[in-house]
Amino acid sequence: MESMNHGLGVDIAFLLLATLAVVTGWRVFRTDSMVRASFFLLVSFIAVGVIMILLAAEYLGVAMFFMMAVEMTVMALFMVMFMMNPAGLNPMNMVHQERIAIGAGVAGFLILGAMALLAIFPDQPVPAGLEPVRSLGNEMLGDSMLIFESAGLVLLTTMIGVVVLSSHRGRYGAAAEGSMPPGLEPGGDPAGKPEEDEEGEGGHHHHHH
Amino acid sequence: MFSELFLPVLMEIFMLVVGGYAVAVLDRLVASVLGTPQAGGIWLAPMARGAWLLTQHANATEAPDWRAWRLAPALYLALAAGGLAVVPWSASLVATDLVTSVVLWGSVEALATVVIFLHGWSANSLLALIGGYRYVALGLSYILISMFVLIGVALPAESLQFTQVVASQEGLWNVIRQPLGLPLFLIVGLGMTFWGPLNLADSTDLAGGTASEISGPPRLVWDMARAAMLVAFSGVAATAFLGGWLGPWLPGPLWMSLKMLAVLSVLLLLGRLLPRLAPERCVTLMWVVLLPLSFIDLVWAGAVALWE
Repeated sequence: MESMNHGLGVDIAFLLLATLAVVTGWRVFRTDSMVRASFFLLVSFIAVGVIMILLAAEYLGVAMFFMMAVEMTVMALFMVMFMMNPAGLNPMNMVHQERIAIGAGVAGFLILGAMALLAIFPDQPVPAGLEPVRSLGNEMLGDSMLIFESAGLVLLTTMIGVVVLSSHRGRYGAAAEGSMPPGLEPGGDPAGKPEEDEEGEGGHHHHHH
Repeated sequence: MFSELFLPVLMEIFMLVVGGYAVAVLDRLVASVLGTPQAGGIWLAPMARGAWLLTQHANATEAPDWRAWRLAPALYLALAAGGLAVVPWSASLVATDLVTSVVLWGSVEALATVVIFLHGWSANSLLALIGGYRYVALGLSYILISMFVLIGVALPAESLQFTQVVASQEGLWNVIRQPLGLPLFLIVGLGMTFWGPLNLADSTDLAGGTASEISGPPRLVWDMARAAMLVAFSGVAATAFLGGWLGPWLPGPLWMSLKMLAVLSVLLLLGRLLPRLAPERCVTLMWVVLLPLSFIDLVWAGAVALWE
């Protein structure tokens, strides 16, 4: 990778990886489960990460692997939690607002395609003594330090905030204690909680199913 | 050409196959030393079990995600191979001497979470699914601890390359320079292979967890992959903390193998000696005790690196 004259292997690898990235990206929308969609997207990102390594961006390419692995796992689990689709194994449609999406997709393809064909890209071969990790570090802790440090601080604050908000144990005791599901009609009994009466098993149960 | 390209690849394949077998033999050896009765001979029993699994019928559940279910064990094995690829056997004998090999190992840990979750999820069965969810909840804390500990070993090397990490231990091994590092990293190793006290994904309280529904050849691949991951982990631990190939008299690759064997023995001994933790308690332990300890390890490493 030091020299400009890369071999045939790099070209073949690029074509295979680019195909993999596009095909798995397409499968994200054609599959019928949120978990599968998330992990197809992960495969697509990994293929892009390997292409970045081919482009001598070794740190950014490898960072793509672990960042996307954790991100896609968390995304898949949160989608399953919020979508009420048990475990994401039930078939469901992955596309919505189709007309807008088609318009945005066609416009995006035309703009990016035009840029790829018409723009004049700078011809900058990778310098021989390039140290990608060192130069990235110099950039992040040099001229761009203020931006990166403030972004990092904001992200850290957000993370701590989320952990505090979602923590099971809080200042007023356990989160699950004392919380009641809302009633099905305004002011009604909590949903899904049969009234516990001591007269025996016959007592009236609220079946709101 | 031969020594640069084919020798490391041969070494890696050898380690994947023989290493997995060595784990099975060592585990039986540890068990018999501790007095647990073992059926069959130490050397032959793992082979017999492998051959038996190979001839068994592969179980099917109702409507599983077939592709993910069959791919997950193979992918976990592939991740172990990817981890072994960055382990240097000597200054020149290394399959992939990537400048970011420490980060690549971090990615192996993160992608292992995905694969273990998929393995539990795709079976479409309750206990396997619980095992998968459990691993995701725990895996995040393992990854964080591992990340801080590994940044610690990258500091004195001033590099994210494992060969540089070994070179930086020429005077003093990291196991002494950063005393908290190796113990914390060993816990990460037990966690990411869900072995012994940290076997919460495939544990007996879930009737086998993510592996509760697999049998036959997929089961064999899954068991081999876990053993191979343990081997890859011990390679990384020996490289990061025990000076890798460094040592007097003996050639580098031999030193490396001996150190890996030592790490493996400690892990398998811990696996047999410690009781399994409850998952909720394990999460608390990770976040409240071990993660702060890994911060201390990192600050320690930074202070030592500045002072040197």
